[in-house]
Amino acid sequence: MSRDTLSRAAPAAPGRPAPRRRPRRATRTEARNARAAACFVLPFLALFGLCFLAPIGYAVHQSLYRTERTGPLGLGGQEHEAFAGLANYAHALSDGQFLAGFGRVLLFGAVQIPLMLVLATTLALLLESASARGVTFFRSAFFLPYGVPGVIASILWGFLYVPGISPLVKIAGALGWDVDFLSRGSVLWAIANIVVWQFTGYNMLVLIAQLKAVPGELYEAARIDGANAWQVARHIKLPLIRPALVLTTVFSIIGTLQLFAEPMVLRPLASSIDSGFTPNLHAYSEAFVGNNPHVAAAEAVLLALVACGLSFGFLRLVGGRTKDRG
Amino acid sequence: MTSNPMHRRTVLGGAAALAAGFALAGCSDGGDGDGPAPEERKKGQKINLTFWSWVPGIDKPVDLWNRKNPEVQVKVEKVSAVNGEQYAKMHAAVKAGNPPDLGQIEFPVIPSFLLDNGLLDLAPLGAARHKDKFFGWQWQQSVFGKGIYAVPQASGPMGLFVRQDLFDKWGVQTPTTWDEYEAAAKTVRRNGAWIETFAPTNGNRFSGLAWQAGAKWYATHGDTWIVHIDDEPTRRVADYWESLVKQKLVKTIPDRQNAWYKDLQTGAITAWVGASWGDALLVGNAPGTKGRWRAAPLPQWKPGGKDFANWGGSTTAVFAKASYPKDALDFAVWLNTDPASIALLIDGGYGFPSAKKGYSTADLDVDKAFFGGQEYSKIFADAGAHVDTSWQWGPGVDTLYQRLGDAFTDALADGSSFRSALAKVQGQTLADLKGKGLKVESGG
Repeated sequence: MSRDTLSRAAPAAPGRPAPRRRPRRATRTEARNARAAACFVLPFLALFGLCFLAPIGYAVHQSLYRTERTGPLGLGGQEHEAFAGLANYAHALSDGQFLAGFGRVLLFGAVQIPLMLVLATTLALLLESASARGVTFFRSAFFLPYGVPGVIASILWGFLYVPGISPLVKIAGALGWDVDFLSRGSVLWAIANIVVWQFTGYNMLVLIAQLKAVPGELYEAARIDGANAWQVARHIKLPLIRPALVLTTVFSIIGTLQLFAEPMVLRPLASSIDSGFTPNLHAYSEAFVGNNPHVAAAEAVLLALVACGLSFGFLRLVGGRTKDRG
Repeated sequence: MTSNPMHRRTVLGGAAALAAGFALAGCSDGGDGDGPAPEERKKGQKINLTFWSWVPGIDKPVDLWNRKNPEVQVKVEKVSAVNGEQYAKMHAAVKAGNPPDLGQIEFPVIPSFLLDNGLLDLAPLGAARHKDKFFGWQWQQSVFGKGIYAVPQASGPMGLFVRQDLFDKWGVQTPTTWDEYEAAAKTVRRNGAWIETFAPTNGNRFSGLAWQAGAKWYATHGDTWIVHIDDEPTRRVADYWESLVKQKLVKTIPDRQNAWYKDLQTGAITAWVGASWGDALLVGNAPGTKGRWRAAPLPQWKPGGKDFANWGGSTTAVFAKASYPKDALDFAVWLNTDPASIALLIDGGYGFPSAKKGYSTADLDVDKAFFGGQEYSKIFADAGAHVDTSWQWGPGVDTLYQRLGDAFTDALADGSSFRSALAKVQGQTLADLKGKGLKVESGG
């Protein structure tokens, strides 16, 4: 490790021409290190290319073509792929339902992500506070919903939402409150509730992991300075788990845009979720119901671009602030 | 729920005119060219065929076949019929080049699969010699030009199921016209229950009701598809249900879902405009209401009318890539004509057989006791005999159902008219078919 640092530092030292011999040795070491690094990185790169880059490339390719059919009435004739340029993108962008789906998930994210992260942070801070009891039990209990697959969670919550079956609706009804979780106005928040239930514990664990990494001396110093628990949380813990918060936010942004399983499962139960409720569901419908894989590919690419834009936009935003502070 | 009903729904029948109307001469020619020549099974060779189906109880006749035909073993793989998932899966498999040998495909979606060259033309295998075993118009559902693309299994003539005990208690006459149906709905509502639900996403039932009213959604003219979803009969049906919804005489929950079954069990919903296969659905999901149901003919637009429709009905189709097409065809024909197989299928409640022989109407009364001893199958048999056989399906019906479901869902949410929903769907369907590279025109 230190040899490596040295050998790399030497040529980089400013204003001093490097002697001839040293770099040769250094190059050999570097080459060996590079080979070792390549061996470690290669499996990742292979998988990354196979499972990430290749599908994206294929989707982009698919999105630029369309199917042309010949034969009377288009039935039974030959079909072939023809270059379509950006026609599929134009089609997707002119589809009001697709755009409405984006609006819906953005609204969803704007409400659900802060709510979930505030909740996760609160839970993490409570569980990591010095006086907490039964930490292990509560940590597992909060994390447990994450172990339930999204589809199962949605079915489970579906039973709690559907009028006529749901005990919640029945209790609310008995109290004189006529509630319909699956109505047009509330179904988005019914889904938000499922997502919060599922992922709060997961995000809490990420935050706890970061909290564990905070050196104990900091707390000790704070206590000596007379800081109370709230002040410790506010001035030490929160600033120090910032990176974890940024990370969980980015995950949540991506997750929100990919919203699929919950509306897909609830759709048969609710007359309020249409086939293009979220962009992902819209692309699914295009691909598998409409049998238009090319348009679906264009929509998937657009979805990826928006997810990319929002994630990097967010990182830039918070990254900039860190610099200012630093 | 929506577009694709789940349980043994069966298709609609009706397209006797297909053969007459379709100028599909080129179809089979185009189809023949692709794909490798079908393999022939050697004598004594043991083969396996896969069959994707969602029909409850389909395993029993298949088991019987497997016992009788040790060399041709058929393996049923159950597919989900929720939301049309089975077709999504089949389309994807066709695209990916690994479809099963056989599939359960409803009549409305056959053209969608033809668009993908997904189904095998059975005519060259001599399928035509089986034609007389089936009701003519149901056989014609899968005939396009010279091609024969599936073996019909069952149809689903529509009727009305009612809770006779509650109707009697409240003095409600079983409605024979849609006007009477509305009046009945009002009385039922005054007694604290609902007559039924208008499930906005159930495009399948809606198409049946439009069919009854005399709609013609698809037609062909030369090599052009004529689409007319926004026609006068359909508007009349849309107006009618919109009015019921606006008067709060019907619920708008999805049908054939837990909440709906619960309403059936508790008498919160007291009737169902359903199809012949609905008997098994009621028996299976509301066992506590045994003896209280009756079936009646579908209410009519004109007093004394005899206009009926189909909801459901399906075929056994052979996929284009089937490894042993001849054996697959033999199995499909056996499954849908052999008396022993039909008896097992009827037990599962799969609908009205497409085969002419091998059963009697009485066999179809799966659970007479549930309907208070009524010979209810006669009602559906009569309906089946009066279905307008000139109705025909076009490509992209699965998308159409989805469009209808979305449009009605929106209309319910923002209070706009069902008519505007139809106009929207008409425009979208034209665009969808154009997008698929078809020649299409709006019907006038």
